[in-house]
Amino acid sequence: MPNREPLRIGVYVCSCGSNIGGVIDPGAVAEYARTLPDVVLARTSLYLCGDPGQNRIKQDIVEHRLNRVVIAACSVRMHEPTFRACLAEAGLNPFLMEMTNIREQDTWVHAHVPDQALIKAKEMVAAAVAKVRHVAPLAPLRVPVTKRALVIGGGVAGISAALDLGDMGIPTVLVEKELSIGGTMAQLNKTFPTMDCSI
Amino acid sequence: MVDAARHPKITIKAYSEVERVDGYIGNFRAFITQKPRYVIEERCTGCGECVPVCPIEVPNPFEMNIAPRKAIDVPHGQAVPLIYAIDIENCIKCYQCVTACGERDAIDFLQEPRTEEVEVGAIIVATGADHFNPSVIPEYGYGRYPNVITAMELERLANSAGPTVGRLIRPSDGQPPHRLAFIQCVGSRDKRFNEYCSGYCCMASIKNAILLKQEHPEMEITIFYMDIRSPSKGYEEFYNRARQMGIRFIRGRPAQITEDPETGNLFIEVEDQDLGQVLEVEVDMAVLATALIPQPDTQQLATTLTLARSPSGFFMEYHPKLRPIDAPNDGIFFAGTAQGPKDIPASVAQGSAAAARAARVLNAETWEIEPVIARVEPSLCISAQGKKCGLCAAACPYNAIIVEVGRAAQIIPAKCHGCGGCVAECPQNAITQDHFTDAQIVAQMREYLREKPEEKILVLMCHWCSYGGADNAGVSHFQYPPDSRGIRVMCSARMDQDLVLEAFRRGAGMVLVSGCHPQDCHYISGQQVAARRFERLFRTLERLGINPERFRVEWISAAEGEKYARVITEMSQKLASFDKAALRRENEAARKAIMQRLLRWRSLPDMAAVLAEEEEEEKEAVLE
Repeated sequence: MPNREPLRIGVYVCSCGSNIGGVIDPGAVAEYARTLPDVVLARTSLYLCGDPGQNRIKQDIVEHRLNRVVIAACSVRMHEPTFRACLAEAGLNPFLMEMTNIREQDTWVHAHVPDQALIKAKEMVAAAVAKVRHVAPLAPLRVPVTKRALVIGGGVAGISAALDLGDMGIPTVLVEKELSIGGTMAQLNKTFPTMDCSI
Repeated sequence: MVDAARHPKITIKAYSEVERVDGYIGNFRAFITQKPRYVIEERCTGCGECVPVCPIEVPNPFEMNIAPRKAIDVPHGQAVPLIYAIDIENCIKCYQCVTACGERDAIDFLQEPRTEEVEVGAIIVATGADHFNPSVIPEYGYGRYPNVITAMELERLANSAGPTVGRLIRPSDGQPPHRLAFIQCVGSRDKRFNEYCSGYCCMASIKNAILLKQEHPEMEITIFYMDIRSPSKGYEEFYNRARQMGIRFIRGRPAQITEDPETGNLFIEVEDQDLGQVLEVEVDMAVLATALIPQPDTQQLATTLTLARSPSGFFMEYHPKLRPIDAPNDGIFFAGTAQGPKDIPASVAQGSAAAARAARVLNAETWEIEPVIARVEPSLCISAQGKKCGLCAAACPYNAIIVEVGRAAQIIPAKCHGCGGCVAECPQNAITQDHFTDAQIVAQMREYLREKPEEKILVLMCHWCSYGGADNAGVSHFQYPPDSRGIRVMCSARMDQDLVLEAFRRGAGMVLVSGCHPQDCHYISGQQVAARRFERLFRTLERLGINPERFRVEWISAAEGEKYARVITEMSQKLASFDKAALRRENEAARKAIMQRLLRWRSLPDMAAVLAEEEEEEKEAVLE
């Protein structure tokens, strides 16, 4: 690729205790990853999201001059922020990382066919490596924040939220579709467990 | 309630609804419409002199319609705000109230709905739940037998501020009941209606039983239950206290209730599961502990805020374990029963939790958002060459693209939410989406389809729903065949027809395009753009000689793990039924035409690099 420093990709395969490691051998995935283009190291970890796992990645980024990272672990919906922060702490742009979900979308759903799950995990890592070879650093986008809250619903939960926000000094608009606030709770007789009036 | 009303930082907008919400975390614009009260808020003193002169009585929903209110009234004496309102549907316009109001001059029959725009940084959804209507269970006779009431009706009948001033009486004859039954799990834990446990009703019935037993020690109270759910602090002790007080508990879901029409007494037929005996228990009155169900307008609000719903119908949280307060959309949070059935302590706690989650955002000066946005390469945009196009702007749900003939299309970064719809719509390859470029997607596809492609199902999944659905299948450990390979993009709008064709060119056995249900789309109309686009693809496939049955489009929510697993299983079975040699022949025959169509990709530098690298490798392979 023109105008780019040589790619140095680190691949990390998480065992997630036995969630991944109980179905497939993370070591076999890492071994396969080492054969992929531009991969300079591949490691396994019992828990990549824990401190030892995170520290290992940060140390490798510095020591092995990694400029791309692939995390084969759980869902991006769960730990993408964790690993992006990990890269940022090591001085790497957080978008130079690609996660692939070999837990929710592999070992947890193909637990009875471990051989097939292993093939799928390897291909998922290969795909993530292929993508990360083409990603570019992105500059964070910051937006202003309007210091006002909208609470929709004036029942006990909405009132509780509005009072806490108000006490924190945050202007709060409490919208109630009925004529008065209080919701279901205002209709109740004395309430459990204190047996006092609900209003 | 009163604390909220007098809090200097809280503005209450009662009798109002949120009609529309635009924007994103830190920068929402909400359009709130206040319905007309026909009473001027600032002038009404809450004196109530208008009420006695009003000749019209209507059922009061606050009293579960068992007591009347006037056509001008407040829901109850402690209402906050204490401002009267006219029920215009039932008002006969006799204007007696206007006379009674006199100089205060607070009544205004010409009031119209008023919409106001409010800018907010975060939103808490605390819209509560509704109560199951037990009249759909014919065997319990609710609605036919007057002495069968709901738990909410009991709350009003036993309430000292209620219509009977707290004196519990039978609706049939106004007499106090001596034998009272509570029937648990009405409409919940019942697969005919709702599978879930409503959670709060065991303690609510026990509470009412204890209160009544304290007041009337001679009253015979029986609770018919399946299991007593008392898992929180102090709950089991409370249940034990009820047993010690002499409240009878019978384990068994009553099969039916019949009525003695003479006395209005009820006969409850039940199998006592502890004794293994069928019993018939005569009572004076029966109280049905009805399920909590989603508010009827849940879907409307879900569409307004682009939220998803769980299979039970309540709002779906970002992550059931780790982010139970957050909506999937940044800056929106849940509190109370809108998110799922729960009791008062849990609702209060969730209210505080939601406030804290919202304050994280609101106390920040600025908030970092994903920089995954679309970018225009001006030299490729035909608008810059003086031609009329604008397809990108038409696909943009956020009006984030400005198109003027003679200038390249311009994307406003702060308005772009990064769905990628414009990228797939642009016929000139002039738009790319950071982090989800065509080259990045094709690079992944290439790896997935390197080995035995005809045995694979290539899945294009949107981040919010179908990827979430696949995660949900994982969390639920639903097993499905291992032949699918998923590529995630932010929205189905990003999925180009060409990506599907490319998968077939690379030999894929089947392709699945999956995204949100239209009402759940996190980019307002992104799913609709995709749905239209892929409807047209079936015919294209046919023309190319590819069996359209090899392509499927499914909308799968983040809560539908079961559906995700089922769709993949069905596709896998279908794939197994195809002759692989025939698939290869089909792909081979279509390859040339697809390549012709995909020539456009050569003009993209990073895509050209992916393809060049591939050609290089292929050459090497031949040499070897």
